[in-house]
Amino acid sequence: MASEELTVSGPGLEMDTMFINMGPQHPSTHGVLRLGLTISGEVINKAVPDIGYLHRGTEKLMETRSYQQCVVLTDRWDYCSAMPNNLVFCLAAEKLMAVQAPPRAQALRVVMCELNRIASHLIFLGTYGIDIGALTPFLYAFREREMILDLYEMLCGARLTYNYIRIGGVAADLGEDWVAKCREFLEYFKPRIDEYDTLLSFNPIFLARTQGVGVIPRESAVAWGLSGPNLRGSGVDYDARKSEPYCGYEAYDFDVPLGQTGSCWDRYFCRVQEMRQSVRIVEAALAKLAPGEVMAKGVPKIIKPPAGEAYAHVEASRGDLGIYLAADGGAAPYRLHVRAPSFLNLAILQEMLVGRKVADVIAVMGSLDIVLGEAVR
Amino acid sequence: MISYFKTVFTSSWAFVQGLWITLRYMFKPAVTVQYPTEKLHPYPPFRGALLFDAAACIACGLCAKACPSSCIALAHQVNPETKKRVPKVEWYTLDLGRCNFCGLCQETCPTKPKSVWHSLDYEVVFSTRDEMVRCWKPGFPLGGRVWDPVAKDFREPRGHLPVSASPARK
Amino acid sequence: MSRDLGSSRLWPTEVWARPWSLPRYRAGAMWLGGIAAGIVVIGAGVGELYLWGDRLLGLLGRCGLGAAWVAWIWVLVKLGCVLGVIVANGLWAVWWERKISAHIQSRFGPMYAGGFHGWAQTIFDTIKLLFKEDVTPAAADQPMHALAPIVAIAPCVMAFAPILFGTELAAARLDMGVLYIFAFAGISVIGVVMAGWASGNKYSLLGGLRAAAQIVSYELPRGFSVVPVLMFAGSLDLAVIDRAQAGYWLGFIPRWFVFYPVVGQVSFLFFLIASVAETNRTPFDIPEAESELVAGFHTEFSGMKWSMFFLTEYGYVLLSSFLLAAFFLGGGAAPLPFLNFVPSWIWMTGKAMFMMFVFMWFRWTFPRLRVDQLMDFNWKFLLPWSFANIGLAGVMLWWMLR
Repeated sequence: MASEELTVSGPGLEMDTMFINMGPQHPSTHGVLRLGLTISGEVINKAVPDIGYLHRGTEKLMETRSYQQCVVLTDRWDYCSAMPNNLVFCLAAEKLMAVQAPPRAQALRVVMCELNRIASHLIFLGTYGIDIGALTPFLYAFREREMILDLYEMLCGARLTYNYIRIGGVAADLGEDWVAKCREFLEYFKPRIDEYDTLLSFNPIFLARTQGVGVIPRESAVAWGLSGPNLRGSGVDYDARKSEPYCGYEAYDFDVPLGQTGSCWDRYFCRVQEMRQSVRIVEAALAKLAPGEVMAKGVPKIIKPPAGEAYAHVEASRGDLGIYLAADGGAAPYRLHVRAPSFLNLAILQEMLVGRKVADVIAVMGSLDIVLGEAVR
Repeated sequence: MISYFKTVFTSSWAFVQGLWITLRYMFKPAVTVQYPTEKLHPYPPFRGALLFDAAACIACGLCAKACPSSCIALAHQVNPETKKRVPKVEWYTLDLGRCNFCGLCQETCPTKPKSVWHSLDYEVVFSTRDEMVRCWKPGFPLGGRVWDPVAKDFREPRGHLPVSASPARK
Repeated sequence: MSRDLGSSRLWPTEVWARPWSLPRYRAGAMWLGGIAAGIVVIGAGVGELYLWGDRLLGLLGRCGLGAAWVAWIWVLVKLGCVLGVIVANGLWAVWWERKISAHIQSRFGPMYAGGFHGWAQTIFDTIKLLFKEDVTPAAADQPMHALAPIVAIAPCVMAFAPILFGTELAAARLDMGVLYIFAFAGISVIGVVMAGWASGNKYSLLGGLRAAAQIVSYELPRGFSVVPVLMFAGSLDLAVIDRAQAGYWLGFIPRWFVFYPVVGQVSFLFFLIASVAETNRTPFDIPEAESELVAGFHTEFSGMKWSMFFLTEYGYVLLSSFLLAAFFLGGGAAPLPFLNFVPSWIWMTGKAMFMMFVFMWFRWTFPRLRVDQLMDFNWKFLLPWSFANIGLAGVMLWWMLR
């Protein structure tokens, strides 16, 4: 319930506007984001996101690296969930080369991407809890995430930047006990999501802080180009896994959680429900994992896709991640453009924060779940 | 009226459930590993600091081409009489500061076992920039040596490189 | 020096499946059991502390110094004890909070400083704070900046005067003890406002005013929820309240006020919630939350000045814990008749520590309320229901005295 605002005005009582920089170093901006806020009193008049602090020029760097080496650079966009980054690049290159990954590789790609979705949403859950003041779920989320990272370490040797999904398939096959360990993790994880619900999602204080706050109406969400749980939280049913399935997603049975009102809580709960759906998908994919090749035949060591342009997009953890790849027949891409979901998602802050109180900024921004590595490449 | 009391009781019950969860976890053992008094080994595929075996290397140069960060440089030996190329490495340098631990070099290495590989060493720490460049000549240890520009000679890397714990040769 | 764990990861699934198979878990349980047993044994051995106090007083009298000198020395002794309690609490409570929060979060907490479970961590932190540079902002009001922490902590120390630490173990026997405590606890607000003002920073000032508003508002339900206790006990004297809870119903249910039907539980809960809000702890810690943009009232204070505020907060937590134990949990009375061999000061301290644990438990479980929600909760829920609670207590008292 909102408290009424007393506006006091009169001669000699004007509140002059003040410009505050939130970031780039701030405990809560979830990355190096600078928000220039113009505030009068406690109400925000204007909010301008200023990005660029994490720009490494990956799109340009990729013009001078072979396709194999480019996959390494893709890991570093959304570092919280690196598998979909690898995947989208490989899908674009595979489109150009008219190569399809074998079924086992596709199932493995699905397993890895969905596990990464769980890991990424765990980070969101933990950090959003801290933004709202609940300091404990963060540690619980990272305890679970640690197990996922162990699984990745068993698989490809890296815990954050995997370089695992390659053009034509995946880099390595599973070890013997990987599936058992993964199932052990999933069995452990399912009751944990219920615990997060009790501890956070349905906690009355959390509900009071996030329901009705930061509402994004459907039209705004679509107009500003939001994607992922931000869009689905406002009730727009769009998921790249359902609308343009890749890697065999059409064969998996899963729901796409939708929010009703577009408040912070809806976006948050969409992500929690997505974790549950990801567990379903991973179990289904592990069940249908048949022995086979993990790399397509005929993919050369030096990858030179024929000249052409291809666009591929996947449902990454933060939204719709797309790659527009222009090749000229050489060993390196001619030009690459990334449609990064966080870049587009954070633009809505310019509209959403106006009129809000300063204390709400953190809660609202946290609910968008942006990662600056992706926004700024 | 009824809904008011219902809200009060459901909220209170939600709080109690939350408290019960945290209380349960308080009595479960902690899961943290107390580094540095306790150290974990990574799993064998782990991509840690790079090690190089000059004896096994055939100086093909594939690793240098594969590296996206251009951190490897090497030269092959030349037979002084026939002036032919000898498949042995004369010198090999690796800039650990540029390495992004992608594993492409160890993947393309054709020797069995690999001549360059990521070890299990995750405690990669340097105190000066010179330390980051490791050099090998035939006979040098797996962790390489550091070129000391003052003494104009190679020296052992300062600090530790727990090679005993780190091979996990791929 | 380091133990090699190999690559066994001991996932939570394994670690929690058989906790008692872990040597460190068994060791921890034995240490805790041993400490508890040790406390009981030492307590039973030492006996009631007021007897030792009487002996000390007698010894002083026999020294031949004269009555006035003895009186002054006795006052100093009592003052030293109270200050000692507060300082010891500052050291102990911080360590304990870090340990409790750590184990709630499946981690260890301080383990290194001083060796065994980092017992010396707070001592070292205090030494570090003593060495910190005392930075005062140029725009700040210098005298106020220096006075604010003192004005915050002095009432906290003074409020401890009538607190009963066991039978007949109070620094001052006041027949209006409760009124005195609430009066002095309220004066700390001035220190908070001074801190906000003296920071020379618009946002710290807002933070300070907000904290002051929160503290003052929650004093009302805090006081009103104690009124039923005063009605049942018939006095404002903490010793009388303590005695009114002695004895057992049916031989084994203690006559603590928290067990009185409905009124006891409601008063207890309201007093607990209001105390959590008074001491600015989560879920009511908006004034000092680090992740909020608006600065708290103590951001411009560094070093020892900051630690004064910190000590004040933990001092009030201790005060509230002792009050909760005294008002609702029976003070020095043992929960079961046969446990009477353990002296009252151990029971009182134990109950107070249990309540302090509840404070910490709340902090690490709940998210924080927004300022307007916090105020709504106070004025629209706690206060009206505490009035209703007083009415219900009146009805119950009438029925009991019929």
